[in-house]
Amino acid sequence: MAEYNPVLPREVVDRSFAKQGPKQYTLWVDLEHCIGCNACTVACKAENNTPVGVDYNKVIEIEEGDFRDASKTPNVGVTFVPMPCMHCGRPACQAACPVGAITKRKEDGIVLINKDKCIGCRYCAWACPYGAPQFNAEAKVMEKCTLCVHRTDKGLLPACVTTCPAKVRFFGELNELSTLMKERRALSVSISVGGADTKPSVKYTK
Amino acid sequence: MNSLIEIGLEAPLRVDSTLCSRYRSTKSECAACAVVCPVPGAVRLDDGVDNNGAAINAACVGCGACASACPNGAIRSLEDDGSLAERIHEQVQVGEVFRFACTRAQGRSDLVLPCLSRLTEALVLEPIRGGAQGVALCAPDCSGCGLRKAAPQWARTMAFSQALCASAGLGAERISSVQVQVGNAEEIRLPARTPNSRRRMFQSIAKRWKASGEAAPQDKTAEAAPPEPFREVVQRHSENPKRMNLLQVLDALPGSRTASKVVATAGLPLAQLDVDSRCVGCNVCETLCPVGALKHREESGNYSLEFDAAQCTGCRICQLACYHQAMHVREAEGLAQLFDRPVVTLISARVKKCLACGERILGDASDYCPACQVSGDRRDAIARRFFSGGL
Repeated sequence: MAEYNPVLPREVVDRSFAKQGPKQYTLWVDLEHCIGCNACTVACKAENNTPVGVDYNKVIEIEEGDFRDASKTPNVGVTFVPMPCMHCGRPACQAACPVGAITKRKEDGIVLINKDKCIGCRYCAWACPYGAPQFNAEAKVMEKCTLCVHRTDKGLLPACVTTCPAKVRFFGELNELSTLMKERRALSVSISVGGADTKPSVKYTK
Repeated sequence: MNSLIEIGLEAPLRVDSTLCSRYRSTKSECAACAVVCPVPGAVRLDDGVDNNGAAINAACVGCGACASACPNGAIRSLEDDGSLAERIHEQVQVGEVFRFACTRAQGRSDLVLPCLSRLTEALVLEPIRGGAQGVALCAPDCSGCGLRKAAPQWARTMAFSQALCASAGLGAERISSVQVQVGNAEEIRLPARTPNSRRRMFQSIAKRWKASGEAAPQDKTAEAAPPEPFREVVQRHSENPKRMNLLQVLDALPGSRTASKVVATAGLPLAQLDVDSRCVGCNVCETLCPVGALKHREESGNYSLEFDAAQCTGCRICQLACYHQAMHVREAEGLAQLFDRPVVTLISARVKKCLACGERILGDASDYCPACQVSGDRRDAIARRFFSGGL
C-alpha cells in the first residue's frame, strides 16, 4: 500500500481536468485515522486570522454505541468529523443569497463569498445544511472556508492539510481524490443532509 | 481601451444603478425597461457575477420608453421630466384640450415627442394641473412605426393616468387617445444591425478628439477612486425622482378626491404590503428596497417596520428576497395611498435574545435564532447519517 502523503502532484491534477468535466478542488478527510486533535481548526484560525467564535473548520464529535440494551455489547466509539465548507455542486448558500455575493468559481469549483457585496444578512448560514458560513461581527460580513484560495492559487496546500499531524486530510481535484481513495480501499461515507441534495464535494472515508 | 469605447459611444439615457431593482438584488425579476425597448439589444440586463443592473448601450435611439417604464426612476433622459413639465406649462391653455403628439402624427399639437412612450403619468397629468380641460394623446396606428414595441408603454401610462384622474374625482374621460393620420415628418429609424462597428467607434473618437482641441482622450480609470463597495451603496436610499414628480402633480390637481379607485396591483407601480409572524427582523427588505419605502425602528425593546405606501413602486424585491417568506404583496389596492400617503406599521414585535448564541430575535414563537434552530437539527441529521449505515 502506498504511503500516506498529503501532497498530491499538481501535474496529475491538471491531466484529470483535461479528461473529465469541470474541475472541482476539494478535501478528503479519512475519519478512520482522525485523532480529533482540532489542529486543523487552530491552523485555519491562524491562517485566516478569524475572530473569537468564527471557525471555518469545526470538528464535531459523533458518539456510537448503546448501553441501554444489556443483552448486547455496547461497542462504543467516537468519530470526529471535521466540517469545513463542502464546496457543494449546487450550493444552497448561493441560492439563498439575496444580493448574489456567493459564487462558485468555474475554474476550480471553489465557493467564495464576495465581501464587498455581502450585506451580512445571514441567509446563507440559515440555508447551509453544514453550518459553514460564519458571521464575522467585527466586519459585519459572512465568512467561510475558502479552501485557502490565497495559498492554493499559488500552488500551496490549505493550512489545515499541511498542519494535520495524523495526515488524514488530502487536498486535490475531486476525481483524483476518488482514485486515491480507491487505491487505499477506503470506504466512502456520504454526508448529504438536508431536503434538497446540495451535492457536497468534500469526501469522507470511514 | 474600455475607456475609449465609453468616450466613443454614449447612450442618450443614463441609468442610476442604485435605484435599479436588478442591481440591488439578483432575486429581482424586473425587466420593465427591456420589455418596452424597441431596439433589439439596446438594454442589457446584467445578472451575472459583476451585477450592475440594467445598462443602456449606444444602439439606443433615445425614445425614452424605458425611462417611462422604470417604476423606480432609475433611467433618466437627457431632457429630464422637470424641463418637459416646464415646456408643457408654457403651452397649456386654460379650459382647452392639451394635445400630445408623436413625430409621425399629423395635425395640431401642443407638444411633439419622438414617441409617446416617453410620457410618464406625471407629464400626462401636468396639463390638467395647469388648468386644461382635458388631455389628448395623438398618434397614428403604431403598428407601422419602427418603435412599435414601445407602444404598449404609452397605453399603460394612459390607463394608469386615467385611473389616477378618476381617483382624484375628475373623471377618467378627461384623458383620451386620438388616432390621427401619418404626417410627413421624418420618423425615427432604427439603426443598422451593427451599431458598434469599428469604423463608427473610431470616427466618433476622432470627432470628439478634434472637438476637444487636439487633447488626447484622458484615461478615466487612472483618476477614478476605487469604487464604493456594494454593501455600502445599498445602505443608501436615493429619492425616486419620478415618484416625487407624480406626488407633486397629484397634490396640485384641482379635484374633490372623494372616490378612490381600487385596482389590481399586478403590473402597476404601487403595492400594499403585509408581514406575517415569520418575520425575524433581519432588515433585508429595508436594505434592498431601492426607494426607501421601508424603515425599521427599534426602541425600548420593541421592533417595528414602517411602510411608506406612497414611495413603494411595487418592484416586489422585499417579497422575493425575504428568506422566511414573511412579506406579502396584496393583489388589489386603492389608489388613495398616493394621495393620502399613509405610513403603515407592518409589524411590531418584542425583541429578545437567542438563548444559545445571544443573537437578536423577534416574537414569542421560539427561544432560539434561526441559525441555532437549524444547527441543532443539522447535527442530529449528520449523526443519524453516520449511524444508519451511511456507508
